[in-house]
Amino acid sequence: MKNHRQGLLAKLGIRPNEIALIVAIIAIIGITLGLDANRSYWFQWDTNSIEIGRQTALLGIFALGAMMVIVSGGIDLSSGSMIAFSGTVIACSMIYLQNGPMSDYLFPVSVDVSGKSVRVDMANAGIFVQTLVVMVSIGMGLVSGFFVGTLHAWLITSVRLPPFVATLSTLVGLRSMARILCEYTTSNYQGSKKAQVNIDHPFFTWLRDSKHVYLWVAVFLVLAAFTWLILSRTVLGRHIYALGGNEQAARLSGIRTDRLKWFAYVFSAMTASLASVFYLANEGVCAPVNQGRGHELNAIAAAVVGGCSLQGGIGTVTGTLLGAMFLRIVIDSVSKIIKSGADIWEGLIVGIVVVLAVTFSQLQQLRGSGRRLFPGLLGACAMVTLSLFAGLIAMSTWGEKPAAMTMVSVLIALVVYGFTEKHKARG
Amino acid sequence: MPGELHAICGENGAGKSTLMKILSGVIGDYEGELFVSGNKVQFHGTRDAESAGISIIHQELNLVEQLSIAANIFLGREIRNSLGLRSDRAMELAAKGLLSQLETEIDPSAPAGSLRVGDQQLVEIAKALSLNSQILIMDEPTSALTESEVARLYRVIARLRERGTTILYISHKMEEVFKLSNRITVLRDGCFIRTLETSETNATEITKWMVGREIESLELGIGTTPGRLLLEVKNVSLAWPGHARGYRLKEVSFKLRGGEVLGIAGLMGAGRTELMECLFGAAELPVEGEMLLEGKPYRPSHPSDACQAGIGLVTEDRKRLGIFPAMNVGQNISVCSLDATIRAGLLNRKVEQNASSSMVGKLQVKTTSLLSAITSLSGGNQQKCIVARWLLTNPKILLLDDPTRGVDVGAKSELYRLIRGLCMEGLGVIVTSSELPELLTLSDRILVLSEGRMAAEFSRENATQEKIMHAATRGWTA
Repeated sequence: MKNHRQGLLAKLGIRPNEIALIVAIIAIIGITLGLDANRSYWFQWDTNSIEIGRQTALLGIFALGAMMVIVSGGIDLSSGSMIAFSGTVIACSMIYLQNGPMSDYLFPVSVDVSGKSVRVDMANAGIFVQTLVVMVSIGMGLVSGFFVGTLHAWLITSVRLPPFVATLSTLVGLRSMARILCEYTTSNYQGSKKAQVNIDHPFFTWLRDSKHVYLWVAVFLVLAAFTWLILSRTVLGRHIYALGGNEQAARLSGIRTDRLKWFAYVFSAMTASLASVFYLANEGVCAPVNQGRGHELNAIAAAVVGGCSLQGGIGTVTGTLLGAMFLRIVIDSVSKIIKSGADIWEGLIVGIVVVLAVTFSQLQQLRGSGRRLFPGLLGACAMVTLSLFAGLIAMSTWGEKPAAMTMVSVLIALVVYGFTEKHKARG
Repeated sequence: MPGELHAICGENGAGKSTLMKILSGVIGDYEGELFVSGNKVQFHGTRDAESAGISIIHQELNLVEQLSIAANIFLGREIRNSLGLRSDRAMELAAKGLLSQLETEIDPSAPAGSLRVGDQQLVEIAKALSLNSQILIMDEPTSALTESEVARLYRVIARLRERGTTILYISHKMEEVFKLSNRITVLRDGCFIRTLETSETNATEITKWMVGREIESLELGIGTTPGRLLLEVKNVSLAWPGHARGYRLKEVSFKLRGGEVLGIAGLMGAGRTELMECLFGAAELPVEGEMLLEGKPYRPSHPSDACQAGIGLVTEDRKRLGIFPAMNVGQNISVCSLDATIRAGLLNRKVEQNASSSMVGKLQVKTTSLLSAITSLSGGNQQKCIVARWLLTNPKILLLDDPTRGVDVGAKSELYRLIRGLCMEGLGVIVTSSELPELLTLSDRILVLSEGRMAAEFSRENATQEKIMHAATRGWTA
């Protein structure tokens, strides 16, 4: 019976953990409907869907890149900084085209009625010049992604750095580089040094409009379809799975593993570049100091929640898509329930979700092996840690007295669980 | 019984390894009862089994490659000094003592990963020695050993038995089973078949019980006439920086014709695998010398060059270098020949599956479906999948590096016939093996390597085990 069911699911190309994710997403929407006093998922379903769609696209686009690298057996920690860097390249390209040597051709000087000579600004430059500027700038952003991805691949395959080290150094380095570029460009072409640049190009204001969120989702879905096509329908994709599964065997099967890594890291960096376009539109500003800061971990989390193995060789586009959606919906639902200051919870939620998702996928194995969740001294200390955290969370929501009660009751519950577990393991 | 050597025989997939895993506590989830020295025991891990006096030496070795040999031997039971700190010196000293009992002089402070398979196994045996085990389980201990190492192992086993250690010995090699054992237990398809006194039986009978049918002894015949010249190797050398010898291979030259099996014999470290790697473009360092493939210069710098030129390599270490554990059987077979399954720029699953399933049929791979996990197959069937992988690329030359290591008797003779059949079709085959009879059965010519140099070359008619061993052990005084 069980085999039969798995066979059917496998035929449809859906894995058990993906079903679980869909169920979890529906469950969370249901819970939020129950707990949210405004019932906003029901009464403002349109604005809510738009917001979730926007946020999912924003995360999902570069989560696909993170997944590609993870499946190939590596890790890309740099995507948050890559978003900032690429965003800065785009913003600076626009400033340069507007104020640099080319500006005389693009934005001609004319004499207005009062006899002053005035330069045409971006808003009045005409659709052709506007499009040209934005196309060239976004192109520059994507090219920067290509070069950073190439740098990663070179560091990993030729210098032989572990992927973790190579992309950790660009995680730190690229953000600095973005700030340097931003300050240089603003001081040379806008007169004064600035740490951030406002994005006032009509394309980005147009893109920001909630009426055009369909485009965000469309770009995400097209990219997802493209990634799916590569991974499951091309030789390149199969070779990436092989590389992630057993690198030595892949090389000895005549697969050019270095080139595959080059592709994977360039893909990852370029998806971050693409995401940076939407970050600029979303925030209306290019802020190299904190744009996308820490978001690389959200992308990795989305991939892991979606069933990618950090050992490499395992992972799907559908899973990552659902993983990104799941993360965003959980974050959104918490903000619905808590109302104010929800952003400080984001990291905690991502952390808990990752642990729960991975635990869930291994629960069966854990049960089957007869191993205990809280063994011995380590288990006892883990129980205390968990109840302390529960108390901390309760304190910020309900105050100190309930916090103490929460802490004690969580600890008791865990201890009881621990004893039943111990008993079962013996019996 | 103390001091007894009890052999366990059975084809691959008969359940020998599973039984051993239960006995050594790797699998804690089984039915039935287990008694050690009359006491009922239940193991939840290898630790439990070790404290009950049972140690196991797995067929696929389990060493932490980054740690030193001494650290591996005392892993989990590290020796401490009077301050309670770990004492590497004491462990290295103790390790040295244990290793010298095994007649080897490997440096206990060297990382385990730097050793070749044969020496790694000795480290595992040293570990069991240090545990002072009452029962020692050996899962095909000689499968990767050279003749001299096997002799050394036999001496070690004899010494262990004098001390009263009971040995459970799993092996495919009838010869050694009869040489060593007191009693033989045969398993088939997970079931106990029977236990026989070694003195009251013979190899033919055991083999019959194992497979449940008679196997005709293998006579493949020569039958093939060498065809056109496929590969010519002239003075190939490979450097070995940082080693006393200075080279892994020195001035190796030979020719390979179509329809011919060239066997490469040699002790561990003689350069058999390295020679394969040179031919396949997988060597770490640039190869010196000249290679001609069908008369044209051939200088592979990456295995993909070799693939394109029509050369395939079945690797020595299946688990580490061969299979893709996360992929299914079909994908493992098709991974090298995916270009041929492209339709309209995309992979065509139907074409891919047809190709894989034709190979599964041709090589008689025992698998429930192409979608089964490759790890669910027995070692012999996994090996067949890897041979299938290369056959799908339509190679001109097939390199087989110890292809029957850990493969059972039935699958072995199937592989032999397969290799012969391929030769009939004009393929050139180069095969290495740690078993001389295998080389003598398979090869038209045998090349003997000794310390990276060519020691001798024998034709099929002239070759005997004694001659080959003599050439391989002669050594070089440069």
